[in-house]
Amino acid sequence: MISNFIIMNGYGLYIWLSFSVVFISCAFVYFKTKKTLIKYEQEFLAELQTLTLEEKNEVLENSKVAQQILATSFETN
Amino acid sequence: MFKYFSSSNIYLLIQKLIKLINSIFFLILVIGLTFALILSPPDYLQGDAVRIMYVHVPAAWIGLACFSVITLLSVLNFVFKVKNFYFINKSIAPIGLLFTCLAIITGSLWGQPTWGTWWAWDARLASMVVLMFFYIFYILTFKLLKKEELITKVSSIIAVVGSVNLPIIKYSVEWWATLHQPASIKIIGSSSIHPEMLLPLMVMLLVFLLYAALIFLMKYKTEIIRIKKKNIKRN
Repeated sequence: MISNFIIMNGYGLYIWLSFSVVFISCAFVYFKTKKTLIKYEQEFLAELQTLTLEEKNEVLENSKVAQQILATSFETN
Repeated sequence: MFKYFSSSNIYLLIQKLIKLINSIFFLILVIGLTFALILSPPDYLQGDAVRIMYVHVPAAWIGLACFSVITLLSVLNFVFKVKNFYFINKSIAPIGLLFTCLAIITGSLWGQPTWGTWWAWDARLASMVVLMFFYIFYILTFKLLKKEELITKVSSIIAVVGSVNLPIIKYSVEWWATLHQPASIKIIGSSSIHPEMLLPLMVMLLVFLLYAALIFLMKYKTEIIRIKKKNIKRN
């Protein structure tokens, strides 16, 4: 039964290749996008660290995005 | 009302949506694959080769849909100068390119067992390759040009010119004699696909749409962070 499922009446090669190409490509794009997102989050935090305490507080008070990135970094750490 | 469209609120919404998609994606993927590879019946003519349809058709639809959205937003951005549309387009274009390439590759893999050839320069296939090149040119404008105004102008022109190709893709199977079969699913009028095949196709379309939405949200989130980082530098 399993071999029938794999062979798919002789079309297995084309079917499995199609599904594999789709899922490998999608997985590659997903991990590349995630890596870029994490890289930018870290660069943003590094930029924040270069500020003085006053400037940092001002940025955090005015920007929900900065607060969220900081909160996410604490969650992941 | 406009405060709801601030980058902070959009960012919070994006985070919630990413969490939501992550929580349901794998369940829908498993259901889709079970239907596509096990439960759906083989075609009376094509046999099991028809299962390639469950990845080929949604990929082609999303490839076309992404370019339609890009064209619409490019025109709106050109007229109303809404900066968010620029970032939305920048985030959508790679997704459209990915799915267009996947539609071409899976179409080729479907063509070999059904038509007896990997490739033929027929109208539908050629117009999909043209769409792929429009995506490449569109993405290159963001990579090669530096000034945002120039990018908006050039990318809008590419999108508008490329949109001429969209009806050609859609009606190529009716206007010319092609190897590619005519559309089995019609929004207006009766579809010729059996419900037992339509259901897996719709579930796989949902899987692909969720994936596309996830990548778009992640890319858009990256753009927001990039802008915020620039703003810190300016201050």
